[in-house]
Amino acid sequence: MARQPMVNLEQMNRYFFDQETTTKFIRYLMNKATVIAPHQKGETSWSYEKVDRAEEVVLDYPRTIQPLKKYFLPPRETLLSFSIKDNCFKEVPSEQEHRIFFAVHSYEMQSILRLDYNFSSGNPESNYLQRRKNSCFVGISFRPDSYHFSKSVGIEIEKLEGFSLFFEPVEKGYLVFELDDAGRDLLDGFNSGVLVDTPMDFELTPKNFKSKIKYHYNRLPQVFEYIYQSKVWDMVAAKCVGCGTCNLLCPTCYCFDVQDEVNLDMIEGNRQRFWDGCMLHSFAEVAGGENFRDKLERRTRHRLYRKFKYITEKSGELHCVGCGRCSKYCPAGINIVDIINDLIVDYTEQQQKQVN
Amino acid sequence: MEISAVQSKNLYYPIMSEIIGVEELTQLEKKFEIVLPDKRALSHKPGQFVEVSIFGFGEAPISVCSSPTRTDSFELTVRKTGRLTDKMHLLTAGSRIGIRGPYGNGFSVDEFVQKDMLFVCGGIGLAPLKSLIDYTIAKRNDFGRIIILYGTKSPAEILFKKDIEHWRNRSDIEFYMTVDRPDKTWSGNVGVITTLIPPLSLNTEQTITTVVGPPVMYKYAIMALKGKRIPDENIYLSLERRMKCGVGKCGHCQINDSYVCQEGPVYHYPRIKNLEEAI
Repeated sequence: MARQPMVNLEQMNRYFFDQETTTKFIRYLMNKATVIAPHQKGETSWSYEKVDRAEEVVLDYPRTIQPLKKYFLPPRETLLSFSIKDNCFKEVPSEQEHRIFFAVHSYEMQSILRLDYNFSSGNPESNYLQRRKNSCFVGISFRPDSYHFSKSVGIEIEKLEGFSLFFEPVEKGYLVFELDDAGRDLLDGFNSGVLVDTPMDFELTPKNFKSKIKYHYNRLPQVFEYIYQSKVWDMVAAKCVGCGTCNLLCPTCYCFDVQDEVNLDMIEGNRQRFWDGCMLHSFAEVAGGENFRDKLERRTRHRLYRKFKYITEKSGELHCVGCGRCSKYCPAGINIVDIINDLIVDYTEQQQKQVN
Repeated sequence: MEISAVQSKNLYYPIMSEIIGVEELTQLEKKFEIVLPDKRALSHKPGQFVEVSIFGFGEAPISVCSSPTRTDSFELTVRKTGRLTDKMHLLTAGSRIGIRGPYGNGFSVDEFVQKDMLFVCGGIGLAPLKSLIDYTIAKRNDFGRIIILYGTKSPAEILFKKDIEHWRNRSDIEFYMTVDRPDKTWSGNVGVITTLIPPLSLNTEQTITTVVGPPVMYKYAIMALKGKRIPDENIYLSLERRMKCGVGKCGHCQINDSYVCQEGPVYHYPRIKNLEEAI
C-alpha cells in the first residue's frame, strides 16, 4: 500500500524557485487572496498566521503548535447573535473569503481531509464547509523531528492529495510542482520561476522518521479489536493529568461545547462554540450529575479509539495523522507512539496466549 | 475540489415557537405545550427529542412526551435541574422559545404492530415513554396488551397523575405502580420498579419491552426481564446522554462508536448490550 509519490511528481510541470523568487511568489499570491503561512513565534515555536510581510514566512519548520483546523473550526465561533430583550436572533453571515494556505505539511493537509469527512457526512455543517470552500493549499516537504510519525499512519512526506502546488527543497531553492488547475491558476502570470523541462535526473533525499509504530498501519484497526481491556490504559492514565492539551492540539479533534455569552448590557449576546476535549472530566457529564466517562483511563481509551477505530470503521481512514503534537506538548510526557506500541505488545501477548 | 459540491445548511438556528400551556406536574417538573410557527406538525417519532433554546441560557435536549398522532402542538416535560431548565420553569403561556429538531432515533412503531407492549418507566423516564404510550393508546387496535410499570422514589414525584388515573380506569390498559419510599398518603406497592416484573404473566415472544429510567435502573430491569425469558431482540431502551448539538458533531453524547443523538436515544438492546459505556 505504500505510495510512490515520486512517480506522480515526475509527470507534473515543475519550476525552480530560488529563495528570493519564493518570497516574491508569496507576495504575488498576497495580491490574489489572503495568504496564511507558518511564522516563527518564540525561539522554538511556530504558528500559522495571516501573512503581512512575505519575508516573515518560515518554510523550514517542524510543526506549528496549533493545527490548521483553527481556520476552519475556529477555537471560538459565534453561531448566532441574540437579543434577550426582543427574544430573537440574528444569523451570522458566512465567510466567503478566498484563502491560500502556504507551506503546509502533508499530515496537516490530511487532517483537513479527515475533518472534511466529519463535517460533510451525516448532517453536512455549513459553518465548516463555507470556510472550507474557497481555500487552496500549497504543500511543502519537511524534515521529521523525533515526534513526527506520519509515515507510520500511512502519510508520506510527499503525499500530495489536497495540494495544488508542492514545494520540495533542493540546493539553493525549491522545486515547485504544479499539481492541479488551481495550482496552475496560482502560478498564472508569475513569470519569475524557471520552468524545468529536463527529465528528473536526481533523487530526493529520503528522510527518516525516528518515531515509528511497530506495525504497518493497515494492522492497527485489528489491534484495536483486542485491546479494549488492556492494562495500558491504566498505565497511561496513571501519568495523565487530564488537561486536554492533546485534544486541543490534535488536528483531527473537532468536538465542541456551546455556550451563550451575554454582553454586560444584559440585553444582547452571542451563542458561541468552543473547542472541547473528551479528555476533560466533565465532557460526558449530564445535567443530573451522572458522568459516563468519569475515569481518566476510560477517557484516554476513548480518545485513542476515536483516532484508530470508531471513525476509521466508517471513513476507512485512520484519524491520527502522525503530527506528534499530542506527544510534544503533553505536560506529563505521554507519547502516543509509545501508547500504541505498548498496545501492540499487549495484543501480541494475547495472540500468543491464544495459540498456546 | 469535491468538498465544494457538498450541500449543507446551518444546523444551529432554532425555530422560534410558542408555549401555549404550562402545567405543574411536581415541585420539580413542569409540562409545556408548544406550537411551531403556523401550527405545523413537529413530525416526530415517539422517543425522539428536540433541542430547547432560551437566549442567554443556552440549549438542552428534551424528549417529546406527546404522541405524534397529535399534530397541532407537542409537549415537553422539563425537570428543573440547571440554568436553562430553571429559566424555562419561569416561563408562562405566550412565551417564545427556540426549538431545533426533532432529532435522534425514535421507536420503530411499525415493527410493534400487533405486539403486546410492556413499558418499564423509572422516574422521569416516563416522559419519553409517554410519547409511545399515548401513541399506542391512540392506535389501540393496532396493539395487543398494554402494560405500564411505573416506579418513582416517592409519591411526591409522580408525574402525569391525570393520565395515570385514565390508564387505571381503562380495562384495556394494565397499569402497576410502586414507590421506593412511601409516605402517609401512599397505600400502593413499595419497592424498586424491578419488583413489579416477576409477578407479570407475559407471552414473552409476543411482548415488546421498552425501558427508560435513571442510569442505575437499566442493568437491574434487564436482569428482571431476562428472568421472565423476554428475548433480547424484544427489548428497547432510551439512554440519556449530553446531546449538546443534536446533529452528530459535538461528541458529548458518544457511547463507544455510537452517537446517541444520531443512533439513539432509542436503542435496540442487542445493539448496545456489548458496549461497555452504554449501561
